[in-house]
Amino acid sequence: MSEMDLSFKAAAASETGGELLDAAPARPKIWRNILHHPGLMLGLTILGILVVLAVFAPWISPYNPYDQHLPQRLLPPVWVHGGNAANWLGTDHLGRDYLSRLIYGARVSLLIGFGAASIGCLIGVTLGMCAGFFGGIIDRVVSFILTCQLALPGLLLAMALVFLIGPSVGVVILVIGFLHWSYYLVVTRAATQKIRDLEYITAARAIGSSRLQIMVTEILPNLFSEIIVIFSLEVGVAVLAEAALSFLGVGIQPPTSSWGLMIAEGKVSVFLRPWLVILPGIFIFLLVLAANLVGDGLRDLMSNESRR
Amino acid sequence: MLRYASKRVVLAILVALAVSFAAFLLLSVATDPASAIAGEGAEPEVIEHIREQLGLNRPLLVQYGSWLLHVFHGDFGTSYYWHQPVGTLILHHLPVTLTLALSAIFVTLIVAIPLGTIAALYPNSLIDRLSLGIAVSAQAMPSFWLALVLIILFGVMIPIFPISGDAHAWNYVLPAIVLGAHSVPAVMRLTRVGVMDVMASDYIRTARAKGFYGYRLLSRQVMRNALLPVVSVLSVQLGYKLGGSVVTETVFAMNGLGRFALQSIVGGDIPTVQMLVVLFAMTFIGLTLLADLLNAWLDPRIRLA
Amino acid sequence: MGRGGVRERVGAALIAVGLTIIGVQSAFAGRANDTLVVAIEGEIPTLDHLYTTARDTIVVSELTDDGLFYIDPDTLTYVPLVAESYVQVDDTTIDVTIRPGVRFHDGSPLTADDVVYTYNWVIDPSTNTNRGRLIAGWLGSVERTGPMTVRFHLKHPYPLAIRDMAFSVQLRKAGAYQGADGKPDPNAESLKLSGVGPYKVIDFQPGKSVTLQRFDDYYAASPKGRPAIKTIIFRTIPDLSTQQAELVSGAVDWMYNVPADVAANIGATGYAVHLTGPTLRVNFIPLDAAGFTGAGNPLTKLDVRRAMIHAINRQDIVKYLVQGDAEVINSACHPLQFGCEQDVRKYPYDPAEARRLLAKAGYPDGFEFELWAYRERQVAEAIAADLAKVGIRAKLRFVTLTTLNQARKKHRVPAFFASWESGSTADTATIAETHWSLKSDRNFSNDAAVARNMEAAAKTIDPEERKRLYSEALRRIADQAYWIPLYTYSQNYLVSKDLAYPVPKDGLPRLFRAHWRPAKASPAKAS
Repeated sequence: MSEMDLSFKAAAASETGGELLDAAPARPKIWRNILHHPGLMLGLTILGILVVLAVFAPWISPYNPYDQHLPQRLLPPVWVHGGNAANWLGTDHLGRDYLSRLIYGARVSLLIGFGAASIGCLIGVTLGMCAGFFGGIIDRVVSFILTCQLALPGLLLAMALVFLIGPSVGVVILVIGFLHWSYYLVVTRAATQKIRDLEYITAARAIGSSRLQIMVTEILPNLFSEIIVIFSLEVGVAVLAEAALSFLGVGIQPPTSSWGLMIAEGKVSVFLRPWLVILPGIFIFLLVLAANLVGDGLRDLMSNESRR
Repeated sequence: MLRYASKRVVLAILVALAVSFAAFLLLSVATDPASAIAGEGAEPEVIEHIREQLGLNRPLLVQYGSWLLHVFHGDFGTSYYWHQPVGTLILHHLPVTLTLALSAIFVTLIVAIPLGTIAALYPNSLIDRLSLGIAVSAQAMPSFWLALVLIILFGVMIPIFPISGDAHAWNYVLPAIVLGAHSVPAVMRLTRVGVMDVMASDYIRTARAKGFYGYRLLSRQVMRNALLPVVSVLSVQLGYKLGGSVVTETVFAMNGLGRFALQSIVGGDIPTVQMLVVLFAMTFIGLTLLADLLNAWLDPRIRLA
Repeated sequence: MGRGGVRERVGAALIAVGLTIIGVQSAFAGRANDTLVVAIEGEIPTLDHLYTTARDTIVVSELTDDGLFYIDPDTLTYVPLVAESYVQVDDTTIDVTIRPGVRFHDGSPLTADDVVYTYNWVIDPSTNTNRGRLIAGWLGSVERTGPMTVRFHLKHPYPLAIRDMAFSVQLRKAGAYQGADGKPDPNAESLKLSGVGPYKVIDFQPGKSVTLQRFDDYYAASPKGRPAIKTIIFRTIPDLSTQQAELVSGAVDWMYNVPADVAANIGATGYAVHLTGPTLRVNFIPLDAAGFTGAGNPLTKLDVRRAMIHAINRQDIVKYLVQGDAEVINSACHPLQFGCEQDVRKYPYDPAEARRLLAKAGYPDGFEFELWAYRERQVAEAIAADLAKVGIRAKLRFVTLTTLNQARKKHRVPAFFASWESGSTADTATIAETHWSLKSDRNFSNDAAVARNMEAAAKTIDPEERKRLYSEALRRIADQAYWIPLYTYSQNYLVSKDLAYPVPKDGLPRLFRAHWRPAKASPAKAS
């Protein structure tokens, strides 16, 4: 069984903490413990609120986020001198209601976060399962691919590709997804290797199940709880990546209300209208925090579970 | 050790080749350098002539080979935008980024290691939970937002640090904090786990039995074993920092490689972008190779696996 | 937020506290050191203005380079600069006498050989200078007729010959582009420039800064005069908020191209002076009427184009976004330019009419198209929002100028936010030439009649005939709505309170005219 280089393990895991690699795969019967884990509850609550905001945006937000009113541009929030109750959080440089844009921004962030994390999941889990299950030359090839992927500077390539291909929500999701599957792969591979050698797999082979059947029906369900943990952490990573791309001008383009873009647009008057920058940042922070809390919380529960 | 080392080096070289080809491929097909050189208003014949001159009509593999050959001779191409050799430009911007990366790692270390150690020595205490909380928060913050908040705080409200440029040492304080903050959680966790693992070992149990506790259990051996994973992570982190400094350098207007990369991308300067991607990748590969070898040397179990 | 309100004062107070502590930054700028520090947004990639289109290099080049002629900022007419005098011998021949005593920054005197070398280099197609094609379009050859006299042979009568010589050809020393190996090297002057302007370059860090020092051997008879300020440093600070912070802390003395809101706010804090000024720059959007990006695309239909102009509330944009001295335009030129016909078809803001025209053209639900832009983001967004209200979904693509130029050459751009400063020349020819010639990739109309008129007007020097030709062409352009004419640009400057900077009528910054205000109630300092 070839050992993954310590450094690459570290690389893949360093962004999100590495204990998961050693956890044994646990059956997903931990849901009842969720309620007792404060971090997890907090994360789920915040996530829930943001999802509600995103899904029900047209009903919740006071105005259409694309409605521009030039005579009412750059109004401050209601608690600052000059603000008014018509626009609680003020307006942006084109007179669009800031609160509405923030609410709709949840849609963009969640869409990209989940979208990119899903693509990464698809790629990483598939490669990881193949590598872990088949071993041998396939494992070596996949390891090589992983090493190459880790070596490439992710943000730089993402910037270049999005800019050259043409910025749009779809391209951003694809590019971020294609650059963030390493963590899935490492964990899936390790977990698959552990399961592969268990007895019931050998039994299934003896019965005559095809390899594909085994992978899908026996191994995959056992990876589920681990994958969920990584997925929620990767959502956070994807949201931050999109925010950075949009902030630098090579991600989501106006007039779409991405939180990262809103920060970029507000940056020019950061000294005189700091709320333009602070408010979207708080939202990004909350979303990523929620994703991390959920991920960490699930991992904690699984670690506890596996110690029994 | 030698066998292990040579295996690792060969692997590193293979990865380097694959990565450089991937970068070359991706970026070459995305744009047409000939029209950039030809300039505005050039007729199609002129553009075609330049394509011939640059050899852009040859198969991609041949172009890659020729490019590789040039790189080995130290010729990194000429930038369309700056009208200068790419190598010179990169050397020019490197010091700022290097200084920033090292300062950021320094910040990460002085925050993460003590916090992680304390958290491990007094598990589940208030400090442990608090530092975990800080860690999780720091990771969730977009770095450019943190940068802007720091600019508002320390540039205007309580102005003690310069908020732009890279002329003096003071200029690096805020950017280093921003860049370093993102890795604090990971390093802290690793330190914590490492220390905890060591604490559970026989050596420590003996010491405990003799009545030592808390910080007095810390010794060189404990720290050395605990910090092993941290060392490898750090070298990887250095690689990440080089690539991840784009945002920080942009917000703080520092003239480093990161911002230079953004300028080149937005300016459509493909040769420079290619070289930068390859350069960052090589640095990462080199550093991880170093870390592998270092680990193998420190921990014999690894090279025998 | 009221001007000078409590918030402003508190903000100003906080900033004041900051000044004393960040004092180390301001040590180099300002009156005390006779050093003018300029913050610019773009990078200066090269010192050689013959080889770059980067916007901010014009400001630097005004200081480091001189051409044969010069646009007098007060009268907006052409006066001889390095030339002493000129004679229009006939329609296609110009004799120029060169002023004695003009020196390059390395001390060597300028002679006819240098002038001939420079012009030959520019019109040679293999050297790829930025305006080479333009100059070679009218200049046949140039010959030395004496040690200080030169004769220009034009290919046809050209009313803007003197203007092109003033604006587009900066003089270089004979042999300047000779590489070390004897082969021509176009990059020879990009890092080390030897020009004849009032300032010489003493330090250049590409992308970061340029440091200039007054050239003491600058010829006394120059209309530019002897500059008052000894040292000028250009610093590239791409981030607008950083620029502001530096200005307020005293590390920067002069900024331009400042967004109107920002300039007004900082001016209100009292830490810098907000100046506005007119320019000859106009902004507009050419539309792909000829179908270069796809035959039969919506923009090829006249009703669609007219609908688009009706849909945009240009008045509000000018009043609230652009502000200052900006005005809406209706014709494809700046109203101050000679030949700019104002009696053309106008399209008032009328979204209902826009929808009606769209439906008539077969697009009752609107359509989608890409709007490219490299500047004026906020205005482009506002325009896109207005268009969206009538159903036209404009997908914004913000790129750099270079990327836009490349894409346009490949006919990938159906519409783009364009801006033209006409080289500060009050003549329609300077905007007509590049935008209506059939060979130009900025010409999305492919209209042979318009091209014919524009070309003819640039080949005769009879003013009445030129006016007639322009009038006819501009009327057709407005009728066919080849462009969405937007507004004239108003320039916003933020300058240090110690600096006296005369605002130029044509919007071209001439920093050699800046000088320090005398210090009040303090011992007089020689400057």
